[in-house]
Amino acid sequence: MQSILSSSTVPILEQVLNFTEARHNVLAGNIANMDTPGYRVRDLSVEAFHDHLKEAISAREQGNEKISPGMGPTHKSDPIRQVKDSLKSILFHDDTDVSMEHQVAEMSKNQFMHNMAISIMTSQFRAMQVAISERV
Amino acid sequence: MSQLPIANLSQLIQAPMTTQMQGTSPEIAESFKSFMLQSIDHVNSMQQDADVAVQTLATGGDVNPAEVLTAVQKADMSFRMMMQIRNKLVQAFQEIRDIRI
Amino acid sequence: MISALDISTSALVAQRTRLNAISSNLANMSSIRDENGDVKPFKARYVVFQADDQLKTAHGAMGVRVASVETEDIEPQYKYEPNHPFAIKDGKWKGHVAYPKINMVREFTDAMEATRAYEANIGVMEITKSLGQQTLRILA
Repeated sequence: MQSILSSSTVPILEQVLNFTEARHNVLAGNIANMDTPGYRVRDLSVEAFHDHLKEAISAREQGNEKISPGMGPTHKSDPIRQVKDSLKSILFHDDTDVSMEHQVAEMSKNQFMHNMAISIMTSQFRAMQVAISERV
Repeated sequence: MSQLPIANLSQLIQAPMTTQMQGTSPEIAESFKSFMLQSIDHVNSMQQDADVAVQTLATGGDVNPAEVLTAVQKADMSFRMMMQIRNKLVQAFQEIRDIRI
Repeated sequence: MISALDISTSALVAQRTRLNAISSNLANMSSIRDENGDVKPFKARYVVFQADDQLKTAHGAMGVRVASVETEDIEPQYKYEPNHPFAIKDGKWKGHVAYPKINMVREFTDAMEATRAYEANIGVMEITKSLGQQTLRILA
């Protein structure tokens, strides 16, 4: 079961959900601290997340060739799961546009990404259930 | 994900088709079998296309979200259609097997 | 779909800057001294918008940015107040005090236009968001 799940897109979508959730919290904190004196606006860098994810995906593909094909990586060595640990390192102070409109717009885009990842993941799980239960 | 149900289906087709239709016309059996295998390949490639599209979207590639969702839905629907065909074949096989001579 | 939100956001930021300039004009309608304390009447400020080349989608839709904040250079209005401590000592306007010449009607009209533009852009953002949500219904 582990290899079925880990060779699909479900772990990738899982990391996307982790990221969008963490980013939502950071952006909400920005809006809450709008009037706090001395507060610097923070954000989670989307490009850095995309880069980490790309590296993890290619690491996963290379890892598969060493072991027999079809056998997925184990729990600890799965590179995709390590993307979650890198989330702490992509927090940065965003001084480009600190207006409230910008924070809300970023939150909106983040929410769209989040909902889309959830919808795709749900449809993958439903397809797996169809395969398992043999009931279309 | 894309390997498991497809393996089920191809095993299923090999067994009943070759035993039943040998007496009548092997050409029909051969073309039906190749048709089925082609369809399975097609479903599998659609699944893989959908997987690649989702991966590109998750890593911030230049892809339209609507296209990704359409690809995922198409793969899903063609997989279910294949599943339904497989169920019907199993059912037909069981009915024929239950014929008492 | 996602970059349409960025374009609308740039418009919101620009219109808010404009509204800030207008409210500062109205607040300083009677200011006869400027920010350094010199006896110079306040001059109305206005913003200049520019289509933003940095914020462009693949098909040429562009955002907006505030290019500069200009100061309007018009003659102040003079009121005859010979006993005022800041009255002009000599020259053509002796005994007059220079007051800022802010056209309140024009400022209010600008403010209304900026508000309408702000609301229109928010409306566009709502439509963009609902487009995104409708797209998710492809997956049923």
